[in-house]
Amino acid sequence: MFNYYLRLAMASIRRTPVLSVLMVLALGLGIGAFMTTFTVYYLMSGDPIPHKSHMLYAVQLDNWDPNDPPTESAKDLQPQITYRDGQYLMNSAAPAIRQAHIYATGAIVVPDTDEPPFDESIRATYHTFFEMFDVPFLYGQPWDRRDDEDHAAVAVIGRELNDRLFDGANSVGQSIRLDDKFVQIVGVLDDWQPTPRFYHVDAGGQFADTEQIYLPFNWAIDQKLLPRGNTNCWKPIDESLPLFEGFLQSECVWNQFWAELETPQQAAAYKDFLDNYVRDQKAIGRFERPLNTFISNVPEWLEVNEVVTDDNRVLVRLSFLFLLVCVLNTVGLLLAKFLGKSGEVALRRAMGASRGAIFSQNLVEVGVIGVLGGLAGAGLAWLGLQAVENLYRGYQHLVHLDPMMLTTAIGLATLSAILAGLYPVWRVSRLAPAGLLKTQ
Amino acid sequence: MNELGPIFRALTRNKLGALLIAFQIGLTLAIVTNAAFIIQERASDIARPSGLDEENTAIFITTLFDSKVDQRQLFRDDLEALRSIPGVLAAAPTQSVPISGSGWGGSIYNDPGKPSNEAINFGNFMVDEQGLEAFGLELNAGRNFRADEIQVRSLDETPVPTVLIVSQALADELFPDSGALGQTVWGEPNGGEPMEIIGIYDHMQNAWPHSDNVNKTALMPNIGMFGGTMMYVVRTEPGQLEPVMKAAEEYLSENRSRIVEVVRSYEEQKKHTYSRDIAMVKLLTAVITVLTGVTGLGIVGLAWFSVTQRRKQIGTRRALGATRFDIVRYFMLENMLITGLGLAIGMAGALGLNWFLDTHYEVGRVPLWYLPLGMLGLWLLGQLAVLLPARRAANIPPAMATRSI
Repeated sequence: MFNYYLRLAMASIRRTPVLSVLMVLALGLGIGAFMTTFTVYYLMSGDPIPHKSHMLYAVQLDNWDPNDPPTESAKDLQPQITYRDGQYLMNSAAPAIRQAHIYATGAIVVPDTDEPPFDESIRATYHTFFEMFDVPFLYGQPWDRRDDEDHAAVAVIGRELNDRLFDGANSVGQSIRLDDKFVQIVGVLDDWQPTPRFYHVDAGGQFADTEQIYLPFNWAIDQKLLPRGNTNCWKPIDESLPLFEGFLQSECVWNQFWAELETPQQAAAYKDFLDNYVRDQKAIGRFERPLNTFISNVPEWLEVNEVVTDDNRVLVRLSFLFLLVCVLNTVGLLLAKFLGKSGEVALRRAMGASRGAIFSQNLVEVGVIGVLGGLAGAGLAWLGLQAVENLYRGYQHLVHLDPMMLTTAIGLATLSAILAGLYPVWRVSRLAPAGLLKTQ
Repeated sequence: MNELGPIFRALTRNKLGALLIAFQIGLTLAIVTNAAFIIQERASDIARPSGLDEENTAIFITTLFDSKVDQRQLFRDDLEALRSIPGVLAAAPTQSVPISGSGWGGSIYNDPGKPSNEAINFGNFMVDEQGLEAFGLELNAGRNFRADEIQVRSLDETPVPTVLIVSQALADELFPDSGALGQTVWGEPNGGEPMEIIGIYDHMQNAWPHSDNVNKTALMPNIGMFGGTMMYVVRTEPGQLEPVMKAAEEYLSENRSRIVEVVRSYEEQKKHTYSRDIAMVKLLTAVITVLTGVTGLGIVGLAWFSVTQRRKQIGTRRALGATRFDIVRYFMLENMLITGLGLAIGMAGALGLNWFLDTHYEVGRVPLWYLPLGMLGLWLLGQLAVLLPARRAANIPPAMATRSI
């Protein structure tokens, strides 16, 4: 029966080609636009480290200008902390499973082959970073606590860089040249790309590539590797010191700080520890504002930093309304089309087809239009995502149409079409045959 | 106009069909006005002048990676070489350019006794004596830096500048009541770092297009040597940008102790910085275009169909003496009635949607004049869309009345 209805549906669609194409096109465009913006939104609001996101906390301390307006939420505070606070916490007996003090920097990699030198972004951090963020290793392992304490010239490099410099071979033990210094490789990472890149969500860096070089924090500071990314200062730097030393001792914020805490009790104890540290610092004249420390787990942190922008939300809302217009459009066209079929329906009813049969037969037709619209929509969403990838910088990890989305697109289209078609189909199945047959 | 009665009564026979198109037109109006408003806002942001000679300016960023090279001497050599390229009007070292998203912010005081929250924030551009010319700025008052006023700032030495040149906007903010030229300002609270304002230029934006103090900028007589990064801004004679960029890149690449990271025209840089806004403009433009297309085609489709359905009636009307024009007018009037209802719904929808978007996402309030404009546009769209099917209706011969099926 279904096959028969399907054949009838195809015949009916072919009979009114303009109307059918318009319906499929409208549905496809609506679905395509909505799926494009929704995919971006969905991927942006994804959890970058699902099994641990509730155990990893970003730290914020309020060392800002005492004359500034009061802090009401984590959003009002600087997302980074000072070098000196980060170093203190890192070396303290803070009640956390792990902590990581981090900053973004960069250097020129000078290959010892003929290949020209190139710039690489670098993450300077502690050995805890890798275990804390579950970073997968291909070869070797992270450096250890001793290396951090010794300011060792060691490095962990990413798989991509390892492919580029060593053709993918195990490069542990080899050296690479950064600017005019050498570091020894202790580990090579496997592919690793948390999206969003939660550990540093600077404006523009939310969806950036992970770094290909990781260095011990203390060594990077010894080499005066300057921060790349936002650096914010409210208080002039002490002019009596050389600029870099003055910068390190200043109230400028440019470091990210993370703590791993398993239970709410641990989180509370850790926050107490931070509060006590700030109180101690108040005694020596720092932290002149009221006590404000915040710890935010990964989902909270992405919210605080507005990783999903208002622009994304506006686009999702507008494209949903757009889809609604397309559905209305389709209902109108279906209604017209089915009322136009009155004669045929009357004939079928007169020949003995029940209302139910008319209803299901026409619903199959609507379903076919829906599936076609969904396929068109998936294609258009794919094109739309390509466009989005080209329009925005740094979206290349973000934008892809996964099978889940594809199924959703087709399902959504079929559902929209059936919803759109329900009333017209019901109308046409309620037609009384006798009157219509007479006028013909 | 006495036809309106029959048209209206005919419409009530298919209330739902008419209501559906009306709703569709209403929603279209709501989306189009709001999207157009957002586009307009972004486009006017992007169109603000940076103050630079945008078409004839390029930026170059190189990174030195060998600490044995004398960086101060390299700056001298680079500037000499860049300035001698034919077509170059001026070249200057800088550590940032306007609207690049990355730069230095500073704060100054117009009174040595002021606390830190009363500092005035500005965008700080460190340049030498050709900076003014390279950025293409015009002095409203005062003078340019002299070569002997330029000092090197590095990680190890931090001389405090004693003179600066400010934008008119910064001058007005610092000294709203008196002229700023010749006045002293302080780089630190409590009277630290006194500096004299020796010049005022008309206008230049800072590095951050969406900042509140975007027009408040100042030039400082410094060459910044912070790490190996060396940045130059080069202004050329009209039409000379491309050859100059090529020659400059060739020259900069010759030195094997550095890499050339960025060779970019200023216009490219601006597009780069505004990429999110440009993306929003393009996506919303696509939404408006496709949406009006869908709605327009929807109207065509429905009218086309209704003409097919009413062939017999139309034939009858023609047989009873109606002219072709009468038939066209019938469909146009019918569309006008439906569109009118839709636009009334849409007006409320547009305001409601704007209220929602503004409350949640701070898009701003749509100026009311957008509504009549959008309504006129959609009304025209409806009339145009119905024209083709209406003309087809007009071509139905009167003889149709006598045929069956």
